[in-house]
Amino acid sequence: MGDFPDPDEEYELMYSDDLELIREIDDGTDSKKIKNKVLPAKRSLDFSSPVQKPLLHTQQSSANASSLSESYQSQTDIISSIPTKRTAEDLFGDINDIDFDDLGLPSKRQKTEEENDLELINKIIESRKMRQMLSEPNRALLDNMSNYNVSKNLSLKIPKWAFMPFTNWDGDRVYVRMESEDSWEESLDLAPDQISLKSMFTPVWEEARKILEAKKNRIEQDLVQETTVNDKQDFTDLWVEKYKPKSYIDLLSEEPVNRCLLHWLHLWDKIVFNKDLKTVEPQQRNSFSKRTGQFQMSNKWRGKKDEPEMDEDGRPHHKVALVCGPPGVGKTTLAHLLARLAGYRPVELNASDERSTDQFKNALQSATLMRSVLDAEKRPNCLILDEIDGAPIQTVELLVRWCTAKKDEGKKKSRVHVLKRPVIAICNDLYATSLRPLRPISLIVSVGAVCSTRLSSRLTLVAKCERVYVAARALTALAARARGDVRSALHALSFLRAGGKNGDQIKVEDVENIAIGTKDNSQSIMQALQTIFTLNNNDHEAVLKVIQAAGEYERIADGIFENYPCSRSDSRLLVSCAISELLALFDITNSWILRTSNYSMYGVLPTLLARGHDILATRQPTRVKFPMTSQEMSRKKTEMDSILWSIWRGSTVYNTKKSLKLDIIPLLPYLLSPVLRSANIQLCSDSERKSVLSCAGAMCDYGLTYIQRREQNGYEHVIEPDVYRLALFGPEDRMRPSPAVRQTIAAQQQLEVIRRNEEMMNRSSGRPEKCERKVSKKEVPSVEVKESRLPNHLQRLQPKAIERALPQVQKDFFGRIVQVAEVQKQADGVSGLITSSVFYQYREGFNNAVRRNVRMRDLM
Amino acid sequence: MSLWVDKHRPKDLMKLDYHKDQAVRLKSLVQQSDFPHLLVYGPSGAGKKTRIMCLLRELYGSGSERLRQETMHFTTPSNKKIEIMTVSSNYHIEVNPTDVGIHDRVVIMDLVKNVAQTHQIDSAGQREFKVVILNEVDDLTKDAQHALRRTMEKYVSTCRLILIANSISRVIPAIRSRCLTIRVPAPTETEIASVLHAVCKKEGLSLPPELAMRIAKSADRNLRRALLMCEACKVQHYPFTSDQKVPEPDWQIFIRETAAMILSEQSPKKLAEVRQKLYELIIHGVPPDVIFAGLLKELVCNCDMSMKCKIASYAAQYEHRMRLGNKPIFHIEAFVAKFMAIYKKFLEEALGDVF
Repeated sequence: MGDFPDPDEEYELMYSDDLELIREIDDGTDSKKIKNKVLPAKRSLDFSSPVQKPLLHTQQSSANASSLSESYQSQTDIISSIPTKRTAEDLFGDINDIDFDDLGLPSKRQKTEEENDLELINKIIESRKMRQMLSEPNRALLDNMSNYNVSKNLSLKIPKWAFMPFTNWDGDRVYVRMESEDSWEESLDLAPDQISLKSMFTPVWEEARKILEAKKNRIEQDLVQETTVNDKQDFTDLWVEKYKPKSYIDLLSEEPVNRCLLHWLHLWDKIVFNKDLKTVEPQQRNSFSKRTGQFQMSNKWRGKKDEPEMDEDGRPHHKVALVCGPPGVGKTTLAHLLARLAGYRPVELNASDERSTDQFKNALQSATLMRSVLDAEKRPNCLILDEIDGAPIQTVELLVRWCTAKKDEGKKKSRVHVLKRPVIAICNDLYATSLRPLRPISLIVSVGAVCSTRLSSRLTLVAKCERVYVAARALTALAARARGDVRSALHALSFLRAGGKNGDQIKVEDVENIAIGTKDNSQSIMQALQTIFTLNNNDHEAVLKVIQAAGEYERIADGIFENYPCSRSDSRLLVSCAISELLALFDITNSWILRTSNYSMYGVLPTLLARGHDILATRQPTRVKFPMTSQEMSRKKTEMDSILWSIWRGSTVYNTKKSLKLDIIPLLPYLLSPVLRSANIQLCSDSERKSVLSCAGAMCDYGLTYIQRREQNGYEHVIEPDVYRLALFGPEDRMRPSPAVRQTIAAQQQLEVIRRNEEMMNRSSGRPEKCERKVSKKEVPSVEVKESRLPNHLQRLQPKAIERALPQVQKDFFGRIVQVAEVQKQADGVSGLITSSVFYQYREGFNNAVRRNVRMRDLM
Repeated sequence: MSLWVDKHRPKDLMKLDYHKDQAVRLKSLVQQSDFPHLLVYGPSGAGKKTRIMCLLRELYGSGSERLRQETMHFTTPSNKKIEIMTVSSNYHIEVNPTDVGIHDRVVIMDLVKNVAQTHQIDSAGQREFKVVILNEVDDLTKDAQHALRRTMEKYVSTCRLILIANSISRVIPAIRSRCLTIRVPAPTETEIASVLHAVCKKEGLSLPPELAMRIAKSADRNLRRALLMCEACKVQHYPFTSDQKVPEPDWQIFIRETAAMILSEQSPKKLAEVRQKLYELIIHGVPPDVIFAGLLKELVCNCDMSMKCKIASYAAQYEHRMRLGNKPIFHIEAFVAKFMAIYKKFLEEALGDVF
């Protein structure tokens, strides 16, 4: 082809690979001439390949071949029957510059040679295109369709223009147009909309695709038939077990998470395998951190740098690793795998085991102090506490003690064993109450849900291994549906496999229809509130669904109540009126349900709330606050109620709570803060003293006391229960008396309590003394005492009088009678004793104490 | 008993300060051998309880004054343990069933039956019956009231019930017809003033008549409150002056402030502020119906005549709903919002008329 040297060179460059291949294939055929012949054909082939491919398909599909070729025939007939001169000139004007002689009608022998070559080339290109098409069929189709005008370049009859004939295996001959470079350039410039016959090509493509699918199905059926033979032994293993990660690479959890746990396990190396790792370890760590320093993740999983990773014993700072995450993400698998990887023998203790404190202690001891005997490799244990959030709180406390208290004791007493083995605790809910003591001392590793792309790729792998043919989209859907739960995804897949009839392809619809493995999609209250307050074009049903998913209608109602004033501009308060009416209705309905325990109306509640959406929703995003106020208020109310209750219980005067609440308590602060000079009570005027007394009396009546309490600057008298808080709104301290007054009242109140107790005693002793108290306070107590009751010493005197009847004659040491002194004789007289309220008695010469009963009230 | 309210409470029917003819009738009623169940009603602070205690004294002598407080335990059908405080003497027992909320029916059935089934130990010199005093009967649930009606008839031979209520409108007619209803009206302001004078005289103080009238006015015809206010006046500032400040319960002042806020501006922002105030009131244990009444009273004062009726009817409607519901704040705020809307509309129309 001396006429077109440059394009040839170009071509050589472009397709040197292919040429190389061709050369290899037809080693024997060496003629330069053939090569020359091939080249233009190849050029045209390059353009026409998509046409040839369908043709090839038609060859393969024997069933549809006839119909296809018929339709094709008709097409080409139509095309060829438009011999418009103008179009021929327009489009094929440059035909002249192609050397017809060179290309001309090839001889019989040459043709067969050419055909061999061409077929080879066809095969190669076709298979390549095929692959491309399979991966992205639409694009390829589009590209080809836009580039190539079928009708003008193909013919089944011998055309008038320059052509290259092709014969397929069935003997059909197709003539492909040969074009010059320029016309090709022109055809490229044609706008895609001018290619009108594109649509005619599609049915052919469709048909071809069907054939391909049929072929694939056939292969699949073969496969399934194969697998059903193998199935018997496959079902013995659960897939979850079967496809458990066997190595670090297989782990599905996030890389930082894995690293973090593994790093923590390696920290134990020093104390567990304390041979040479002691010195190597820090260096290792350094290099390790240097290495990982390249990654930006390195600091994240490392935690804070300033926190020392090891304590003085050479153990990690965190004694326990607490792995948390939703179920099915592979926490247990991760722990086991990493423990094995770090050279430990994992010992698992889970919820199925007895977890009382004793049992737990045993397990702890055996796992952390002893070494397995049976294990041939003599690996140290690594205790894995699975599902620890379900353990009783005492058990967790024991674990915490075991891990922490040892640190101090270990230094003092060598007897007590230090925790020398890593303990990994696994939980679902990190914030379970029983885990509260464990959290601060443990390294918290949270394993998130597996991202759906990773999950779906793993599922693909599993499906491939199990020879289950699942559409890629179905797997993606399954992964999305599992929401990161590997276990449920695998179960669902195996269920799908079991359910499918003799190995049908599992389609997306199957996944959508499957009932298992879907968790309740629970929405938070906040999501529900956000939906209520923002306008979207969704239908009413969507809002209703979100509300129903969230549940806790009362909280949502509270949320609406707390958020509505700032949601919409509402100058005429019409929105406020409407929404508060609605909430009132909600409240009535709800309390009716609760009161009657009749839940038939319960279904109405979310509808009522959804109605709130119609009233409140706005387009501008509102920041919804979490409903806290109502709970806060109810907490405060309980506090106040308890004050009221304690006053009510403490008061000696019976009042109903209501009158106490509305009348008495609000006025008590005024009554309890008398105007006093801050001076000693003894120095006060009479009226002041009286007011203090009445104040103290009132306090006694209502069971109030001043209690000394230590404040930041000295002691302070605090009233208990705090009536001021209940009675006053706003700042409570405005009515409180000054500290000095408080002290005075407190003292008086204590005296009043004693006084009252005494009165009570008197009353219970059965003396009919009426209004004795009031009188006695004013008069001199001694007089009144004498009247009311006999002085104590008079009662005592009675036996003495009998004694006096036979007076003892006192004798001295020598037995002589001692003369009694005159004075003493007089003192013995009864009259003298009775008249004086104070007396003393001489007792045998060793005790002459003055004895008299004194009452507290007399001292006050 | 050092507060004047308690100290100077009359103990004898003949020593009552007002409604004297009623006292005479009561005395003669008691002096007959028997008397029916009583339903004593009247506003709080009118002297219902005082009269009942006098009556008991008339019945049983001074033994009825020796009170003791006890806590009784009951078990509801749903196996919930409840306890209630009772005040009793040898002859009567007083209880407030509403303290246990919705379980009041259990209290009524068990307690009244217990008391009614035990006879007096020595019926010789005594009355044949005991007395059960039930407080706040109008707040009893309907269930409890229905439980009461049969008990009243069944045990009439051994026990008399004295029911105390603020209003009989919420007492079911069946109970009303089984009782002798005695209305104790609130004392008039002059009666209150005279009582105040008498008490001050007993205490040896001199009370200026103007101050007495001011206290009586601000006490809202509630004698208990008036006496407490008077004593508070005395504690705050003794030689009384006629223009000294009369202390008032804080919640009343607070409700007034809230009403002023509502009237000052009508906007959602203000509504949110009002809500805080309402919450405060509820926290301090002011009953929601009292809040309603207080707000209405203050708001209506500042309304045009045409609006008053409308506002009052709305208040009644919302209060009724509040009793059906659980969350008073929703209903009170609904009323406030409604009032604001009406008031704002009225103001705008009035302004439109001016221009």
